[in-house]
Amino acid sequence: MKIIKLEEIKYALQNLRQRKMRSFLSILSILIGIAAVFALVSFGMGIKDYVDTLAEESGTNKLLIQAKGIGAPGTDDTFALTQEDVDFIEKINGIDEISGMYYKISEVTFRDKNKYAYMMGLNIDKIDFIMQGMNIDMEKGRELRKGDTYKVVLGYNYMLDNKVFSKGLQIGDKILIDGAKFEVVGFYSAVGNPSDDSQVYITSEIFEQIYPEKKNKYSMIMASTEQGLKTKTVADRVSERLRKYKGQEEGKEDFYVQTFEDAIATFSTIINIINGVLVLIAMVSVVVASVNIMNTMYTSVLERTKEIGVMKAVGARNSDIMFIFLLESGAIGLIGGIIGVMLGYLVATTGGSYAAAAGFSALKPIFPLTLILGCILFAFLVGAGSGVLPAIRASKLKPVDSLRYE
Amino acid sequence: MFRDYISLAIKSLSKRKLRTYLTMIGIFIGIAAVVALIGLGEGLRTAITSQFGFLGTDILSVQAASVGFAGPPGAGAPNPLSDELAKKIEGINNVEMAFNRYIATATIEFRDKQKIEFVISVVSGENRRAFERMLNLKMQEGRMLTDRDTKGILLGDNYLKGSTYGATFDRPIHSGDKVLINGKQFDVVGIIEKKGSFIFDDAVWMNDDVMINEGIRDDDGTVDILGIKVKDASKIEQTQQDVEKLLRKERDAKEGEEDFTVQTPQKALESLNSTLFAVQLFVTIIAIISLLVGGIGIMNTMYTSVLERTKEIGIMKSIGARNSTIFTLFAIESGFLGLVGGIIGIIIGLTLAYGLAFIGGLALGSELIQAHVSLGLILGSLAFSFILGTTFGVLPAIRASKLNPVDALRGAK
Repeated sequence: MKIIKLEEIKYALQNLRQRKMRSFLSILSILIGIAAVFALVSFGMGIKDYVDTLAEESGTNKLLIQAKGIGAPGTDDTFALTQEDVDFIEKINGIDEISGMYYKISEVTFRDKNKYAYMMGLNIDKIDFIMQGMNIDMEKGRELRKGDTYKVVLGYNYMLDNKVFSKGLQIGDKILIDGAKFEVVGFYSAVGNPSDDSQVYITSEIFEQIYPEKKNKYSMIMASTEQGLKTKTVADRVSERLRKYKGQEEGKEDFYVQTFEDAIATFSTIINIINGVLVLIAMVSVVVASVNIMNTMYTSVLERTKEIGVMKAVGARNSDIMFIFLLESGAIGLIGGIIGVMLGYLVATTGGSYAAAAGFSALKPIFPLTLILGCILFAFLVGAGSGVLPAIRASKLKPVDSLRYE
Repeated sequence: MFRDYISLAIKSLSKRKLRTYLTMIGIFIGIAAVVALIGLGEGLRTAITSQFGFLGTDILSVQAASVGFAGPPGAGAPNPLSDELAKKIEGINNVEMAFNRYIATATIEFRDKQKIEFVISVVSGENRRAFERMLNLKMQEGRMLTDRDTKGILLGDNYLKGSTYGATFDRPIHSGDKVLINGKQFDVVGIIEKKGSFIFDDAVWMNDDVMINEGIRDDDGTVDILGIKVKDASKIEQTQQDVEKLLRKERDAKEGEEDFTVQTPQKALESLNSTLFAVQLFVTIIAIISLLVGGIGIMNTMYTSVLERTKEIGIMKSIGARNSTIFTLFAIESGFLGLVGGIIGIIIGLTLAYGLAFIGGLALGSELIQAHVSLGLILGSLAFSFILGTTFGVLPAIRASKLNPVDALRGAK
């Protein structure tokens, strides 16, 4: 038995070349589908990667306590958390650092233009802790510090032209926030979505001064657990104790406790489902391509009936014939896969740069080797798989009948 | 003549049954995916946009500006609307009435089960009837609220099922039951007819003065939305401008820098609608890729067909067939492939869309999953599949028509 069927491989490739137009069209049909699948999966993997880094850098020992409500944080203060809650939680076994966070929607005015943005009031003593938790660094200027009065740090997008305002802001610029004059002292690095990157940050002291009605009404509390403890266990403990402290019955809490990991897991699940559905839809075109390849191969078998008869007459076995045709369809898949991956790479990088320009820099495709090889292998298998039925038909042809075929 | 073309096309297609079937499978998979996706997307869009209640042509609503998509209308606006504006707006020509609307969140408790829900205000006083008509509020149990109902509430249809989107209660809540709202006891005086909207069907409805007096919403002199009903709907644009002018003066805002919006409900829906449309378009484009692939399949089949029938074409030409005749013959054949593929695709797509909507509705119990396949979509896909077939058949048909009769008769390739 021959191990390498070099002759057969040469023969199969030659056949593809002979029918240039048909081979080209079959390859085209599979490469389109592979390109779409490749591009979509590369985005899905990019988002997963982003979320994983986020989880790693913010630390897996963080938990969030949020007041219940409908809408985004800071829009509904029917239920809020207080400093007393913070102090109480801080004493719970296993809690390391903790800080309450004010949220509010505010009107930001620069050069007579008004914009609406989320504002956070930050506890100065805990600023490093909060920023680590949110995974934001300084991009320019300085952090808020003790004794700052009307100073503000802005999200990344304020630095850019035509993002929040038509002209980017500079350190030292004066802006109005809900009518009060603030001096810009710094900018945070990009988070990767327009909403977070348009936030404004002031100290909690000033926040309480300007909005006395919001004093002691935190939308959220961020806490970290001590080393070596399971975050989930501590989260359950906090939930239980705080409920009793607030005198609420189980199932009737006006707050909820979530670990960062849970929050991120929920987010990734949603992203994965959306991406999965899109990939599934793109797969439809791969299925159609596979039907096309099958069609091409059936035609090819029909045309070469006589040839097959001759080959069989001079001693080719069924398995040889089958191998030749499988190889032919596999080659269509393989070539389509390679070109498809290249095309998909182009589409994904173009799409990624558009997304970044629109402020969604978190939407960044990645191209790990497994994805590239996986897609090419998949295309090859689809090609070879589509060729199975035609190849069986070819291999089962009776030599006498095929020789007579006109 | 034309009939001959068609019967010839069908004959040559049926001669190569397997190839014809496979080519058509390529088309109908694509068409089925597109029809099903657009149908489900349309259904979702209609379901979402119908969540927003009254859509009269004689209504305007005013909201203070805020961050987009932050939550319920008026939520967290830095500079909310004053509750004194309604009276002033009523002074404008063509305004029939203007009223304050409040939306708050509160806990609702029934038999030890608690959830957090919207409380929506019902206008009390002389405008009550007009408000009820405007929202088309009808009762399926109990009665409407009156000014005397200081402890009465209405509930949306979902409470009759005993479960809303957020929580499940022990048993259905009927009129006559008592519930706790923010810990205070209220009587359910009526259940509103199903609105098909989870915002309305999950909501608690209460007289506006009661909402303030019971502390469900802060009494801070602000409102969440202002509703305005105009007398003459044809002059609504003028009225809108008048209201904007008044508000600019009252709120000290320059033109072009308003910190509020005055909109007809349709207008307010447009931005949401366009976002949903963009998503739908993206999904459809991905699905259309498969149609492109199917089209390539048709092209491939047709090229093969031309090749196989070279001799036949030569004979036809030698007995007088013109180039245009040969072209038409092949174009009809490929168009036919597209059309039949399209018809089968539409049938499968319809089944898929309504089937998925049915299963999805059962599994999730949500009215959001609906299918809506319009006649336009059906005819459009049919036309599209036919055009697709013909278009991808053009190149092969041209090749066929340009064959040299002598070479063709010899079977040269």
